[in-house]
Amino acid sequence: MKPYLILFFIIFSLSFGGVASPQVKGNPDVDMDEFERLMDQQMKQSKPSNSPEKTNRNNRPFRVNGKTSNKMDKVEQRLDKLENLNRQRATTFGTRSNALSTTATGINRLFNPAISFNTLGLATYRSKGNGPEGGEHDDEHEDQHVHGFGEHETGFRIQELELNAQAYIDNYLRGSITLAMHDVEDIEMEEAFVDFVPFLNLNIRAGKYFVPFGKHAQLHTHQFPFIDAPQAVGGVVGAEFNEVGIGINPIIPLPWFSEISFNILNGDNETLFDSQHDDDFAYLIHSKNLWDLNENTTLELGGSYAFGENGSSGANNHTDVVGANMTIIYRPLNRTRFRSLIWQAEYLGAFKETGIEKETGDHNPDENIGGVYTFLQYQFLQRWWIQGRYDFLGLHNDDVPGEAGEDTHQWSALLAFANSEFQSLRLQYNYLDYDGFGDRGFDHEHQLLLQLNFTMGAHPAHLY
Amino acid sequence: MISYKNFSFFKTVFLLGILSLYFVPPTWAKLNVVGTTENLAALAKEVGQNLAVVKSIARGYQDPHHVDPKPSYMVMVNRADLLLYHGLDLESAWLPQLIEGSRNRQIRFGQIGHLDLSQSVDQILEIPFGVVDRSMGDVHPFGNPHYTMDPLNGIRIAHSIAERMSILDPENESLYKSNAGAFETKVNTKLKQWENRLRKFSDKKIVTYHRNWSYFFARFGLQYLGNVEIRPGILPSPRHLADLAVEMKRQHSNLIINTNYFPTKWSDLLAQKTNARVVVLPAMVNGIPEARDYISFIEYLVNRYEQELSKSP
Ligand SMILES: [Zn+2]
Repeated sequence: MKPYLILFFIIFSLSFGGVASPQVKGNPDVDMDEFERLMDQQMKQSKPSNSPEKTNRNNRPFRVNGKTSNKMDKVEQRLDKLENLNRQRATTFGTRSNALSTTATGINRLFNPAISFNTLGLATYRSKGNGPEGGEHDDEHEDQHVHGFGEHETGFRIQELELNAQAYIDNYLRGSITLAMHDVEDIEMEEAFVDFVPFLNLNIRAGKYFVPFGKHAQLHTHQFPFIDAPQAVGGVVGAEFNEVGIGINPIIPLPWFSEISFNILNGDNETLFDSQHDDDFAYLIHSKNLWDLNENTTLELGGSYAFGENGSSGANNHTDVVGANMTIIYRPLNRTRFRSLIWQAEYLGAFKETGIEKETGDHNPDENIGGVYTFLQYQFLQRWWIQGRYDFLGLHNDDVPGEAGEDTHQWSALLAFANSEFQSLRLQYNYLDYDGFGDRGFDHEHQLLLQLNFTMGAHPAHLY
Repeated sequence: MISYKNFSFFKTVFLLGILSLYFVPPTWAKLNVVGTTENLAALAKEVGQNLAVVKSIARGYQDPHHVDPKPSYMVMVNRADLLLYHGLDLESAWLPQLIEGSRNRQIRFGQIGHLDLSQSVDQILEIPFGVVDRSMGDVHPFGNPHYTMDPLNGIRIAHSIAERMSILDPENESLYKSNAGAFETKVNTKLKQWENRLRKFSDKKIVTYHRNWSYFFARFGLQYLGNVEIRPGILPSPRHLADLAVEMKRQHSNLIINTNYFPTKWSDLLAQKTNARVVVLPAMVNGIPEARDYISFIEYLVNRYEQELSKSP
């Protein structure tokens, strides 16, 4: 075992031990001893004043400091007057409806879609630097590299800025549009789709959307459990698996939650499909099942299968992709916000035919790749998470000559502080171990990532 | 390896999937009602009696502001004829996904099976004035949504539910309406006793963790001194608690009410500095075993408040 790995495991297990050991009574989110010390200090400074009305009305902070109490009293009296006036106005003139009225202005904010902006600021350190051998952006191979580089170069960047708008379009359709900017320059339409519920148990989705393949590939970047996607996902289905198509998603009437999704897709994914013929569609079927093991624990099992034609020549150009995923979530009902434990594991595999040798007419050898990852997320305090991940890319490709060096093992550890649902700060460490030197000239590296994730606008949807 | 040539396999699965849609469980003779909280479910039970199967999404000891949109809840909503919720953004973080995921047209917004009970309440308390933004915490921008704590609102809600059930199941209209009427009579008899028992404490100032008691206090003439959290959803700071402690001492307030789904450590610390008592109370039916239905829930709260307030020096 490499010394780095040992070091990594020691740090990781220490950080687990460190969070498990303090007297976890109730839900200490802060150091209560320190809290008490500060509180005592504050109480000593505060002298009870003589003002008669001291209730914490409208959640206004109490005045405490005797010196400023006269001034503060005056200010507060004024505020009270203003408040009363506002209250009277609100009832007399019906400010609420007038302010939103569109009759005269023609500008109606009431029917605006729910809009949210999400920004991911990222600082990265990479032990191997950013030289060409370090996997600097290389347009030709960009798609193969997304799972390893780009966001992993030393420097500061806006990892992604995402704009989402959602609204009911009429009594039938609900629409959602997501635009994303990566690295400031290019704007991409990540999603633009409508949902329609024609009758009981059925949902139809049409447009461009993240296809329901596996678990991780369905997530927007800001929803990733770690700062980056596992290589097992990016290396098999590409950085983003969104397609233009139509999906029919029935709920099967069973005692547990069981959804099957049938999708006909245009097949534009460059990693998997992208056939030379425009009329070659890709097909995808996904099954999602979820059981409540008890009040606090759920088990999710999913299976996915997609097939289509890729860009290779001749008739030997089919692609099959398979996936299996499992998630167990433990979250005590009476402490929903304070404690949870999530274990997830996923397998993805892609099997591609690669065309016909022109001269001999033989089939080229298949290009196969597969990966697995598993992670554990533990919320040990209301706002704190600690996470660990193992990620492997390199299944099914052993028999391909000259490609053996591509196998990658990755170990990651992450510490997250989420002050609210609208903001989080996360620090992640990656150790990558490549089986061979490949063309990069080294066989291991370290990465350190620090991400600030913030959302403005509509409440982000809780995922489950 | 799976072969692409299995197109017929795909087709078969597809057809089976579509066919399975028709194996919908036989439609119940009873109305399927889902409430987002135990309080709404309890009121629906009073009205539906044995004509309705009523379920609650959040358990009684669970924080209704923060519920996971579990797919099993989607299954629950999928089979519902009537969905009851508090509104005023209480469930905005999780209910929309359940409605979307349920694939049930009948309970969608604007449909007959969709009932926002905040509409039946006469007066919503604590509607914020002026600009509201998230620096103020998890503020409820449309006012305090914990209105089921006032028994008079309980009566209003029961009547609204009866009205809606009558539209969904017109054959039993008279039963739903008489059930709601019977519930009103029961509550009204109790209400006089409850008011008499708590009225005498109207000079006592009470600290609570969260403002989920506003409607209860307004009905029974009780008063807040302040709240342990700074604003809804914002954890207390040392300064805030110190100020509160000073005020409690000055005004001889010695009762801190902590709803059972919020952590008690701040209340405990505050109590230790002020010689006050922390009392943990449920905010929902089934929040503790004694509170089996709506009336026994309010009864339990009145008992506990009476007990604790009469202990005061
Ligand atoms: Zn609240």
